[in-house]
Amino acid sequence: MKKLFSTKWFIVLAVSLALVAGVVLSFIPNSPIAFLKKPVSAIVSPVQAFVMNSGNVISDFWAALTDGMAIREENENLKDQIADLRYQLTQNEEAAIRYEELKDAFHIRDTFSNYDIYGAQVLSREADEWFSVIRVGAGSNDGIDAQSMEAFPVLDVEMNLVGRVIEVGSSDSMVLPLLHEGFSVACKVNVVNGATMLVSGDASLKNDGLCLVTRIESGTVIEPGTEIVTSGEGGLFPEGIPVGTIVDVDYSNPLAITATLKPNSDIGDIEDVFVMIPYQTEEEEASDETEVTENAG
Amino acid sequence: MQGKFPIRKIIVYAIYILLFTTFQVSFPNAISFRGQVADLTFAFVVLTGYYYGFLDGAVVGLITGMIRDCFASPIIMGLDGKTQLASGIGMLVLFLAGSYGSSFFKHRLHRNVHFALLAVLSATLIYKVSGHICIFLWLKLQDGAIYTLTLGKILTDSILPSLLVNVLAALPIIFLLRFLGPVSRRKSDDSNDDVIKSYGEDSWLQI
Repeated sequence: MKKLFSTKWFIVLAVSLALVAGVVLSFIPNSPIAFLKKPVSAIVSPVQAFVMNSGNVISDFWAALTDGMAIREENENLKDQIADLRYQLTQNEEAAIRYEELKDAFHIRDTFSNYDIYGAQVLSREADEWFSVIRVGAGSNDGIDAQSMEAFPVLDVEMNLVGRVIEVGSSDSMVLPLLHEGFSVACKVNVVNGATMLVSGDASLKNDGLCLVTRIESGTVIEPGTEIVTSGEGGLFPEGIPVGTIVDVDYSNPLAITATLKPNSDIGDIEDVFVMIPYQTEEEEASDETEVTENAG
Repeated sequence: MQGKFPIRKIIVYAIYILLFTTFQVSFPNAISFRGQVADLTFAFVVLTGYYYGFLDGAVVGLITGMIRDCFASPIIMGLDGKTQLASGIGMLVLFLAGSYGSSFFKHRLHRNVHFALLAVLSATLIYKVSGHICIFLWLKLQDGAIYTLTLGKILTDSILPSLLVNVLAALPIIFLLRFLGPVSRRKSDDSNDDVIKSYGEDSWLQI
């Protein structure tokens, strides 16, 4: 018996079974497995940050050496652009004042007016085809409330959709990327009353950096190049976040038209993201309080 | 008197584990082909098992897997359709990879440098094939979920690119483990087989 316990196959089997039990346990809400990850993460995170920063410094240094001529030319072009933009800016400042006046007069609300936007650095990326979560440096310490979390949209610096927060730590959060097959978002064509559709990740398109578009409103004609934004249906994502552009449309089945979409955000290259956290306005809070009082009464 | 506590081994493994896991999640696109990224940690664990035996492969696999689970867990769609992070799969995969590496052609090849690449190739093949089978079966359990990858796509977009990039990733790791490894070169060739046999490896997958 003692010999059996010391053989390799027995050890492999026993450890594998224990690990499978751990995996199953991790699916349970508030599982202790999640807490076990915290100390490991606390120890290794500084090392990972050091390696990433060192890599970036080397990369930047190399780029500085190799891109000198190109940078000089780009700099000249940018100077011209700055002059143009300064002129536009003065005009836009005037327009902005008018807009604010009209906004107050007509009670117009900005697309993202009910959201706090937190900037965060991408700390780590997917390790392979299946280990595909992205870790960003904003957590519950930054105001992301894990308890009330439904879905916090994650955007890139150009406000394109990157994914949504799936798990919140104290100083970091895990993001489910747009290309993952578990991701889906209600979208529409970026025009007033545009046709609605569902954009989701797909295992066969993921490696090409594309998403699948389904449930396209019947009778809709979509052309390649059509811009798609979130529709706001379902309430998880606000309306109007740019998602991507239609690449190809398949009309072979008129009852189930499908299309492929190229996301605007290049998930492999992004370094900084913004997490959108909804908050209640004073009016909403007041109406909630009224409802509670009425219910109590 | 020579100390029994393998301090050099632990330090060298700790450096390698931190280096490979952090590099893997910081710069995954450093070596990539057709959407597949080189899995440095996977190749490292297989090669550790291949060169230094079951105990080293298994322990390094567990620790590396734990760090991988912290940084880049797999996202699983539950049977209720909700997506959530799964902890422990990285540990399981890399523990089995280390165990497999230690069993690969051990008697005939005597930890041959050239066949180390074959160990990484075969381990990657097994990992990818079993991964796709597991996902297929998992989706079968879900209502209406379809695995959209065809056999051809799996081969051309997943398995073959992974084999290529993992073999490329294995080359520097073979050099590091063999020549700057956790065991000094003077000791590594003769003494390791004795260490391996003491863990009952003779009874395991003799090919």
